Amino acid sequence: MNRLSNPQAGKKMVLMGNEAIARGAIESGVKVVAAYPGTPSSEIVEVLLECSKDLGFYAEWSVNEKISFEVSTGASLMGVRTLTALKGAGLNVIMDMLMTIPYTGIRGGFLLVVADDPGAHYSSNEQDSRMAAQWANLLCLEPENHQEAKEMAKAAFEISERLELPVILRSATRLSHCSGVVEMGTVKPSEMVPGFNKHYKLPYRWNVYGPPGTENKHAWQLAQLPAMRNEAECSPFTQISKGKSPVAIISCGLGAAYSREAVRILGQEKNIWFVKVGTPYPIPSEKLLPVLKSCKKVLVVEDGDPLMETQLRVFAQQQRLPVQFFGKVGEGVFALHGELNTDKAVTALAKTLEIDLPVDLQRETAKKEANSVVVPRSSTLCAGCPHLGTYWAMKRALKPGVENVPVINGDIGCYEQAGYGVKGQMPDASADPSRRYLSRLPYDFLDTLHIMGSGISLAQGEAHSGVENGQYWAVAGDSTFYHSCMPGLVNAVWNNANITFVVMDNYWTSMTGHQVCPATGLNPRNQDTKIIPIENIVQSIGVEQIEVVDPYDISATIAAMKKASSFEGPSVVIARRECALQVLRRSGKGSTRTFVTDACTGCTICVQLGCPATTFENNMAGIDPLLCVNCGMCKQLCPENAIIEEVVQ
Amino acid sequence: MIKDSVVTNIIVSGVGGQGSILTSHLLADAALIEGFDVKLAETFGAATRGGSVYAHVRIGEVWAPMMREDEADVVISLEPLEGLRVATKFLKPGGYALINTHPWYPVDVTVGRVKYPSLDAITDALKKLDAKVITIDATSLAIEAGDSRSLNSVVLGGLIALEVTPISQDGIFKAMQEKWKERLVKINQKAFQLGYDFVNSVL
Repeated sequence: MNRLSNPQAGKKMVLMGNEAIARGAIESGVKVVAAYPGTPSSEIVEVLLECSKDLGFYAEWSVNEKISFEVSTGASLMGVRTLTALKGAGLNVIMDMLMTIPYTGIRGGFLLVVADDPGAHYSSNEQDSRMAAQWANLLCLEPENHQEAKEMAKAAFEISERLELPVILRSATRLSHCSGVVEMGTVKPSEMVPGFNKHYKLPYRWNVYGPPGTENKHAWQLAQLPAMRNEAECSPFTQISKGKSPVAIISCGLGAAYSREAVRILGQEKNIWFVKVGTPYPIPSEKLLPVLKSCKKVLVVEDGDPLMETQLRVFAQQQRLPVQFFGKVGEGVFALHGELNTDKAVTALAKTLEIDLPVDLQRETAKKEANSVVVPRSSTLCAGCPHLGTYWAMKRALKPGVENVPVINGDIGCYEQAGYGVKGQMPDASADPSRRYLSRLPYDFLDTLHIMGSGISLAQGEAHSGVENGQYWAVAGDSTFYHSCMPGLVNAVWNNANITFVVMDNYWTSMTGHQVCPATGLNPRNQDTKIIPIENIVQSIGVEQIEVVDPYDISATIAAMKKASSFEGPSVVIARRECALQVLRRSGKGSTRTFVTDACTGCTICVQLGCPATTFENNMAGIDPLLCVNCGMCKQLCPENAIIEEVVQ
Repeated sequence: MIKDSVVTNIIVSGVGGQGSILTSHLLADAALIEGFDVKLAETFGAATRGGSVYAHVRIGEVWAPMMREDEADVVISLEPLEGLRVATKFLKPGGYALINTHPWYPVDVTVGRVKYPSLDAITDALKKLDAKVITIDATSLAIEAGDSRSLNSVVLGGLIALEVTPISQDGIFKAMQEKWKERLVKINQKAFQLGYDFVNSVL
């Protein structure tokens, strides 16, 4: 049984923010959970999937975020509590439905968790998803710590049922992927009687076009707004403590945590007003009025865009209050990019209070000197990763030159590492295109990388651009293929785009933590199910050149890549081999070991594979036995046959 | 009951796959078992393995999951270069740096882009930061304990021997028992003891 399924009430545990949110959903009696994995949100539904087996509710990984949000919406219309959790980028995938569902509203409590990533530790942007709450006119809660994450998840279900609208809980990396002490509570499910009612409170309630029409449904939502503002005004999560001087910090979420540290560091505990807002949208303006009336200066601390700050500025102007705001608007005390931290909050508070912070130049110099010894550690694919073989073969099939400029479009997954570069030397931005590839490693290989499913469509635009000496390729993993590549592939066939699409099928949604996908043979509840073969889909879409290869077989993979690249029209190569980490976890390393003999001439060809198990010292290649998984790829590359695999006695 | 205590800031660093995150969770669980409030921040990039990984463990009354620059009382590192990398940012003057001596070469070194600094260069740089440096061949001690993967427990033993945290061996052992099966607990407790004894002998 999962430790979060049935813990004793009152028990304290160290929980990740994601686990705390999951426990909040369990304590609310959630009945349907659907999501697509996305760091830093994935553990919410990972935990709920495990607990679903213990507690008998339904949970799934959906094929993409849009589908998960619609699955949850369906459950909510049936009058049961439901949750979708996703990362900021995932929110963008559901935007069509998110902007429409407020018109019809929902029934069962609907919690939408969005885990943002200020600082873009794991994401292709730093978006502040709270802005979507304002755009769609939905209430947004933002927890400061782990206990509050759980309590807000519970409150969200109740508010959602009262307003008949989804409620957004905004998390961030430093909450979702950090841990703190959380006290367990008891389960209090909804009292709503489940069931479908076509004309619930409004004729044709769940048909946005149905009579009385879309505009009237919009008017219905707007009529909910006073009740939504009231929820914000009455929220126990907003707390105000008075100060002696006319200066206030108004903060929310992690911004409140950093602000508390800053107040302690600068010794301002008794001096300034401190406000922690629980609902950054809508802000509880009336509750904050006494603060704005008492203070001349207000420092607004929030992680992301100035959402609270703009609302506060508008409100102060409406009230004709001469408050000076410090935040992110105009000449802000915070940058609009990057994530907040305590140091930034200290600097901003010092600026607001006009305090000079001491600078220790000697320390700065010592740190700089020590730092000059540090060398970079570029991230790599894992030892024995099948993608290493796939990229090797692609590079061999596609030698760049003036006559032939390939463009390789990346996509989201482990394989995107092939575009991260090797640090320590930035490429020359003015270099001749034929000399773009800095190193012979796979890590300088990808040319474009944006969002899930984008690579295959970018390649088509490039192919139709009329530039003649190019070759246009795209890569995607299995989970990404099912997520959002299929329409792109239909488009390529329909419009006869001369592109090559390489699907790297390693059976798992690996980068987010090895969740199952339709290529795994297991469903999200870990039951055996049929694989939905990518080659069958590709074939039925009408692709005429399809090769399925094992990337551990280097020469066969090179041959497949060459065949695909010389084909006129859309071609597909499926490079299929299970993720090496999963094999290692399940089966261990086997009974062989791979090593380099004296026959090595130091030619560095094996190094160019980019495998982290390969070492190179004193002009000789080597293999780190702790990392090597005996995949045999480097052995196939060695021109001297100096790499040997032997059975361990 | 949550005990009041002076805030203790610990950083655990290493390379993805070595167990630094697991180590930080053991520390946090042990802190709660012993009655302290605790916060833990994991930081790792997109890569499961091979990238720089470090975790902040903050024991006592704190709000932010991550500490400020120059605020760590101690940095424990499963890999030398990664120890220096975080220490240059977070270690306070006079803080401890407990560093495993076994390097894990970055790809940048393997392909000849940069040279991996010598252990002497790393300890000299740490001393420039006014760190109390202790180097430990934790990888060998882990193999001696029965499994190279118990490296993190060796370093954890060394940390407890330093007596800079309010956590005792008892707390760590209880946290191990809650997490692992008996066989793993045995190996890791042995590894812990080897690390503890080594650091005690050089203090």
